[in-house]
Amino acid sequence: MKVSLLFVIAGFVLLLFQTTLPRLVPLGPYVPDLALVLCVYLGLNHPTVGAVVGTFLLGYSVDVFSSNVLGLNAFALSLVFITAYLSSRAIWVHSPLLSASVVFLASWVKGASLMLLWATVLTMERYGIGSLHYIFVDATMAALLAPALFWALKRGQNYLEQMKIPE
Amino acid sequence: MLSFLRRNQVLFTAFLSVLLSLYIIAPAAKGQHRVDPIGPLLIAVMRPLQTAIQSTFFGMRDFFGSYVALRGVAAENERLKARVRELEGEKSRLLEEEATNKRLRELMDFRTEWAPKAVTATVIANSASAYFHTVIIDKGKANGVEKGMAAISPLGVVGQVVAVTNRNAKVLLVTDSHSGVDAMVQRTRARGLVSGSLDNGTVMKYVKRSDDLKEGDRLVTSGLDGVFPKGLLIGTVSRVNKKNLGLFQQIEVGLALDPARVEEVLVVRGNAPEIKD
Repeated sequence: MKVSLLFVIAGFVLLLFQTTLPRLVPLGPYVPDLALVLCVYLGLNHPTVGAVVGTFLLGYSVDVFSSNVLGLNAFALSLVFITAYLSSRAIWVHSPLLSASVVFLASWVKGASLMLLWATVLTMERYGIGSLHYIFVDATMAALLAPALFWALKRGQNYLEQMKIPE
Repeated sequence: MLSFLRRNQVLFTAFLSVLLSLYIIAPAAKGQHRVDPIGPLLIAVMRPLQTAIQSTFFGMRDFFGSYVALRGVAAENERLKARVRELEGEKSRLLEEEATNKRLRELMDFRTEWAPKAVTATVIANSASAYFHTVIIDKGKANGVEKGMAAISPLGVVGQVVAVTNRNAKVLLVTDSHSGVDAMVQRTRARGLVSGSLDNGTVMKYVKRSDDLKEGDRLVTSGLDGVFPKGLLIGTVSRVNKKNLGLFQQIEVGLALDPARVEEVLVVRGNAPEIKD
């Protein structure tokens, strides 16, 4: 319960930073995808039904602040969660480099799923090399942030799991 | 069966959430939108926090900016240093206020000139995703803002209101790949649609190959989309590419302003009177 609360608070704070940081720090059109890093972390280290619901709500919240079509980020982040969850059965993410790599790949899953949805369901817009460059920069930014965020989330999770409930 | 579901409940729930997302997206494919029950509540909760973070950051940035700028000058003695630091805080506050006043005065002049019923709004949050270019403003239904209205600034086009709550609104910026502003070249009156794109930044689409366009040509709103008033500056042509094949030429646009960095906007209804030069 306490660990779930930690992730709810983390989700809220990360979303808050995600919606304000780019206005304060000149990053061009790019936004550091903190929500994606949290979803990958949940898929790898805390795969519960609650985490799935949290991921969906986080994606929906990102939609509220970004997209003119609700559900796009909820869809993409749910896919990211599934990818991370399935990867967690095969790999054990224990080093910063590995966590950055998994987040980098997850960001590509997100970018590709968004573009697939746009191209097939929402518009007939074609995406070219420029879009790949866009996904690449977005994925790199997320990957660079991943080790620090993973470390902080792991520390918080371990601390709460080891805390004894007073009798 | 039940034990199978229990064993794979995480995966099962995740697939359900994917299906639920698609269910939410589905009406958009037909150009419709679902009612959003959570959005207004979330924006209302986040709004004061976003405003607080922004004001704190801008305050600190101005303070340290002034400090660095004045450091070399105020090095005579400790007493003067302390005094200068004291004044720096005051100065940065006044400079920020002066800059805000200047921006608001320009906005007010612009507003009284041609759009007296316009609503002045402050940007309080940006998009939470790199794939979408939107901002949240601090005015909503209660202030007369409605979906479909145009967001502009004295320097040019900002975007269009796509969602409104009672006290806030979401503006789709002109740089988003799903936006579209009916535009024309001021010199030749050639028309096209200015829109964002992930491939080439902001572009002007559907400009006929036969139309005469040069780098540096000014692009203004045509007013024909019924959203943006006619004659508002969008930007200039930064690159013209006529491919060997195809009906249209590819035009890249340098916007007159970066809509993502705008702090205040005017929200207006389309078909307003033409802007005078």
